[in-house]
Amino acid sequence: MNTWGDFENVQPIVAKMLENSIKKNRISHAYLFQGPKGTGKKESSFLLAKSFFCKYLEGFNPCNECRDCKRIESGNHPDVHPIQPDGQSIKKEQITHLQKEFTYTGMESNQKVYIIEHADTMTANAANQLLKFLEEPKRSTMAILLTENGQSILNTIRSRCQTMSFKALNTKQLESRLVASGISEPISKFSAALTNDFEEAERISQDDWFAKGRTIVIKLIQVLMEGNDEAFLFLHNDWLPHFKDKDQSQIGLDLLLIWYRDYVSYLIERKDTIIYIDEKEKFEKYTFSLSRDQATKALKKILEAKNKLKANVNPTLVMEELVLQIQR
Amino acid sequence: MKFNVQRNQLMESVQDVMKAISSKTAIPILSGMKIDVTEEGVKLTGSDSDISIESFVPAEEEGIVYVENIEPGSIVLQAKYFPEIVRKLPEQTVEIESDEQFNVTIRSGSAEFNLNGQDAQEYPQLPKLHTENSFELSVDLLKDLIRQTVFAVSTSETRPILTGVNMSIKDQKLQFVATDSHRLAGRSIPLEDSANKELFSNIVIPGKSLNELNKILDDTQEKIEISVTENQILFRTKHLNFLSRLLDGNYPETSRLIPEQSKTNVMIDSKELLHSIDRASLLAKESRNNVVKLTTKENTSIEISSNSPEVGKVFEEVTADTIEGEELKISFSAKYMMDALKAINSEKVNISFTGAMRPFIIKPAEHEDEILQLILPVRTY
Repeated sequence: MNTWGDFENVQPIVAKMLENSIKKNRISHAYLFQGPKGTGKKESSFLLAKSFFCKYLEGFNPCNECRDCKRIESGNHPDVHPIQPDGQSIKKEQITHLQKEFTYTGMESNQKVYIIEHADTMTANAANQLLKFLEEPKRSTMAILLTENGQSILNTIRSRCQTMSFKALNTKQLESRLVASGISEPISKFSAALTNDFEEAERISQDDWFAKGRTIVIKLIQVLMEGNDEAFLFLHNDWLPHFKDKDQSQIGLDLLLIWYRDYVSYLIERKDTIIYIDEKEKFEKYTFSLSRDQATKALKKILEAKNKLKANVNPTLVMEELVLQIQR
Repeated sequence: MKFNVQRNQLMESVQDVMKAISSKTAIPILSGMKIDVTEEGVKLTGSDSDISIESFVPAEEEGIVYVENIEPGSIVLQAKYFPEIVRKLPEQTVEIESDEQFNVTIRSGSAEFNLNGQDAQEYPQLPKLHTENSFELSVDLLKDLIRQTVFAVSTSETRPILTGVNMSIKDQKLQFVATDSHRLAGRSIPLEDSANKELFSNIVIPGKSLNELNKILDDTQEKIEISVTENQILFRTKHLNFLSRLLDGNYPETSRLIPEQSKTNVMIDSKELLHSIDRASLLAKESRNNVVKLTTKENTSIEISSNSPEVGKVFEEVTADTIEGEELKISFSAKYMMDALKAINSEKVNISFTGAMRPFIIKPAEHEDEILQLILPVRTY
């Protein structure tokens, strides 16, 4: 995504708003980009930074060829400060460092941009520290906060930023693009459900790990439904060796979540939204043994399990508890 | 890019430049060292984004050729390996060559190194030098200016602007002021050539940068050229350019803090006072504030005392040259007082008090107007 034109194809509304503020020279001092994964938040923040710094703007498009543009692209621009979570969260020290940086004059120009990725992972201390200089913006600095979860940003921070909501890409569109590029329909649906980004979806489609993960999820459900007390055994033999760390467990739970969601969709006759389309026979088979209430309850439990993982609960324990709760 | 260079000259430059390169950098390219080759010679650049150092190896100086076979160009090399390589090369001459893919070959004698370089275009651009907007000082004078003020900068980041030294030019005087809001150190010197002194009025240089500069400069009578650009200040000696970013913001007005009248004036031998305060602070250190007490006595002597109940007491009488004005009891931080006395570096000092709760000023007995140290007293009961 190197020009506003490209960006407009993906996020028409946000692109238009940003374009207008560049055109009228009314760039805000702080932006909050919120939207699901893969909707182009980071790319657009870089694009905005380029338009901010590039000296050879074509209209409002950066040239992508000058030193400034190139260095923003490679992360070497001295006046652009990207911040990423250090481990689980953005720590106070990182913000303090940033704050120190901002008491100095610019290295090359008088403009500075800071881009905070996953801004929702800021610790409370870090967020309050940041608030201090969001409140009193120095001349020509621009903050861009990126988050997938706009609601978990402190109110006090949110109110100081101009919020840009990135719409989730149309899953159908992504799906058909994937199918067009020669990926089978069930896998396309599945990848499109997991991410919003075409390239990542393509990668998922070709990754054996995901394909195997999908099979394991289907098997786990079978074991849970047949109900012959082998769920624990299955968990330790198949599930845990495959979904090893926390991130992988999250993906595993996502897959499980999608299955139950599909089942509910099936029961309420919204069959076009079903992602496990090759599982329709099973849904049919389970209609008598798994009620809608039970399925929704299972959905709730899975979401709870996901939260626990985020709060650093041991993945094995989380999975064991979950299996006990949704076992029939 | 290609050149042959004398190893010793290159090594010297590399060592200077390495002082600016830090192992943990905000942007990846700064872990490298930039080499610029022109017909005039080789320029090395290192930076940690706060300070940048450029060092120059001239192609030829006083008839001695240092750099030969020059093909101009630029490259960025990993600073982690380059200095060690240069140091351990076998021969006196070093040949360095880079190709289009940023592969660098370093040859000396029969040893050959191939290093991966980076594009010099990625390196931050340092501001262009404005030589017409500059003034000169001798190096040892600048070092004095730094030494006498920089210790007083604030170490806490709550008011970032106070972590710097305020440099201003007013009435053909160059003034350095530093304060951490408990004490203030100031030094001013007259400027000799006063033609173009409207270059800047008031800038703040980070204390850390000045400390670094002080370390790098040798005590010499040579001239150093100082110029200020929009964002940075440049200190330039013959082969070395030292750049520092400035602190952004307005420095608080300090002239109003300095009391104009005084109620008690003490003239005293600075060494004696320093030593007696040093002794008194031995016990004072135990208690938190490091506080000592000064009391004027009759027959021109003062008493320095300190009392920390859990450790003990210390008293000492020091004879002053003259004491004028009201009697006085005042408490202050021993550390601040010692710092100030050390910075003044004069045989006799004049201390002017305006009451026990008001800041007091220490000045050398000679050249009164040049150095000024101000300390706020501590309230004790």
